[in-house]
Amino acid sequence: MTLSWKRVLIVARREYLTAVKRKAFLFTLIVVPLYFGGVMALATRGQMSSARDSLRSFTRLGVVDSSGLYAAATRVLTTSMAVDPAGDPTKREAYRTDVVFYADQRSLERALRSGEIPQALIIPADYLASGALRRYSRADGVFTSNSVQRSIERWLTRNLLAGQADSLRIERATRPSLSMSQYTLNKAGEFESKDDRREMLEFMIPFMFSILLGMCIITGGQYLLQGVSEEKESRILESLLCTLSPEDLLAGKLLGLGATGLTLVGVWLGAGVALSGPMLALANMQLPATLLAFAFVYFLLGYLFYAGLMTGIGAVTNNMREAQQFAMMFTFANFVPFILLTNLLSKPDGPLAVGLSLFPPTAPTTMMLRLGTASANVPAWQIAASLVLLALSGWLVLRGAARVFRIGLLMTGKTPTLPEIWRWARAGR
Amino acid sequence: MLEVRDIVKTFDGRAVVNRVSFEVRPGEIFALLGPNGAGKTTLIRMITDILKPDSGEIVLDGSRVGGDSRRQIAYLPEERGLYRRVSPIDVLVYYGELKGLSAHAARAAGLALLERMELAEWATKQVQTLSKGMQQKVQFCTALIGEPRLLILDEPFTGLDPLNTQLFEEILAERRAAGSTVLLSTHQMNKVEELCDRALMINRGHMVLYGSVRDFRRQYADHAVMVRCDRRPDAVTGVHGIEPADGDWKLMLEPSASPQSVLRDLVASGLGIESFSIATPPLEDVFVRVVREGLGLDHGRSGPTELEPATKGGAR
Repeated sequence: MTLSWKRVLIVARREYLTAVKRKAFLFTLIVVPLYFGGVMALATRGQMSSARDSLRSFTRLGVVDSSGLYAAATRVLTTSMAVDPAGDPTKREAYRTDVVFYADQRSLERALRSGEIPQALIIPADYLASGALRRYSRADGVFTSNSVQRSIERWLTRNLLAGQADSLRIERATRPSLSMSQYTLNKAGEFESKDDRREMLEFMIPFMFSILLGMCIITGGQYLLQGVSEEKESRILESLLCTLSPEDLLAGKLLGLGATGLTLVGVWLGAGVALSGPMLALANMQLPATLLAFAFVYFLLGYLFYAGLMTGIGAVTNNMREAQQFAMMFTFANFVPFILLTNLLSKPDGPLAVGLSLFPPTAPTTMMLRLGTASANVPAWQIAASLVLLALSGWLVLRGAARVFRIGLLMTGKTPTLPEIWRWARAGR
Repeated sequence: MLEVRDIVKTFDGRAVVNRVSFEVRPGEIFALLGPNGAGKTTLIRMITDILKPDSGEIVLDGSRVGGDSRRQIAYLPEERGLYRRVSPIDVLVYYGELKGLSAHAARAAGLALLERMELAEWATKQVQTLSKGMQQKVQFCTALIGEPRLLILDEPFTGLDPLNTQLFEEILAERRAAGSTVLLSTHQMNKVEELCDRALMINRGHMVLYGSVRDFRRQYADHAVMVRCDRRPDAVTGVHGIEPADGDWKLMLEPSASPQSVLRDLVASGLGIESFSIATPPLEDVFVRVVREGLGLDHGRSGPTELEPATKGGAR
């Protein structure tokens, strides 16, 4: 296959300019990060405000104490909560709850039903031995509020120990770790401090890198799918293929649309680094150059692999709708690691992570997740094997796609069968 | 100019083009004829190097087609299409650059072509806002840009109004005068008679006629003459039947008679003769006859009716 690079570059330039001038590109460039950022901010804020709302509405706690252990318990319960968990831990907000004792369960239930109290607690006679408690509340959400439960637990501990120990000991027993500095062994063999902010960044960096890579690969592939489908549907190809070879056309498209994907991710990454720079500096973290280099290599190989698949799909299907349906299955594979995110991040060197980082369709996103995770220790052989397998399968897929492209482009009407596609991929024209 | 030598193309074990050979001479307008499904498009795709023949070779100006020969060939396919959201001038610059022109030269050539096609004011509008006929003219421009030596046109006149048909014909004549060669594939036999010097007819992948268009018509002519005169030419020696034909008379000749002897007899009879010619059937009739005769074609044999001595590498 001899390429005419001059023609390849003409096609690449046209594909790139056409793609970046489209309104859809600008929309993706601006709206997608805003959307993701917005969703994440909403989720975090939602979680925070949900905890705060629970505490705010926890104004009264009804108690029936059959054990007699809490006869002299305090009638006020105070809970404090950090204003911003990722910010200054000393800035806290306090919430007050009045504790009201009831003689029996019936009167407690009545008070709960009438809305007099939002929460109720029954302390059975054998509580000391069994530790069993019954908590009643008006059902107002799917999940039980942890902050309310923690608050009740502290009240129980504090009042159980009242008179048994000094106030400082009681305070420590209720909150044994008001702050716990954690130190982890880094890749250089040194222990370094790991706080909440750093932990969040350590999760966010591989996650964002991986998701950007996945999106970049898929965006480039989607543009390719769209371009091939459009040219096939509008019957441009026959006159175009008289002017340049299918290989030149395919190479130009791959180059131009790959550059489009890189532009997209470059802008996102640049904006991301600019915005998160102060946070990274605060956490004494910097993006390692090797991570960026690996991201580029995995993008390149992953893009070629998926671009080959998308080209083949675009060439054998008759219109965009049909092409999208087929492409969906393959696009999904790229994002499988995100479904298994918790598992992969908690065991970044486990068999699942290793398997997915060697399997070409999931290799780019999984490997970026692992390489970006501070606790992961990815051996060089795994990186090498993953790159070789990805490059090899990308080459095979592209080779087959180029052959299918050559024949499929001119076929209209019936969608070819799998054996037909296989024959084209093997034999070419 | 273009030599097609004994090419074969098989799909799923069926020969779609079977040992076809012909030559297109420099500067001529050559017709490629055949019924639907005859193998014309496959043949054209092999000439344009979109498909490779299983065997045989295609030579353009002494070199096998492929690679840089693409710049010498332009193709206007029957199934037409353009990028819809770009302007005609951008489409033409793209095609021009692909054919080796600089961006500047491609723009200048594109604008000149749009001017010639009476589309200058539409140069920067989106293709999708143009009428179907206008889009067809833009597509014709994509074939013309870069001044290709060989122009392959598949049904170029379909859907055009008479004015635009005339415009296309004028441009073809200009291109021919400038040294371009045209391979015209069409079912409009009147256009072949008007424009083409020679033709190849294929049916089911086989060559069935190859030679000059005039010779085709003579080959399939009845033994008859056409005469226009001041009264009905009765009692002419050697004539066994007379039929009126659009103001002329068609005289059916006996096998022993010749057009010369009949003309002599007509003059001698004192008729006022305005015109006299050999009666030749329209190409359309020849087409129908040849295709019908070819229905029982033996697939193992290929060869045209010998209307001219086989050219180098010609039919065998």
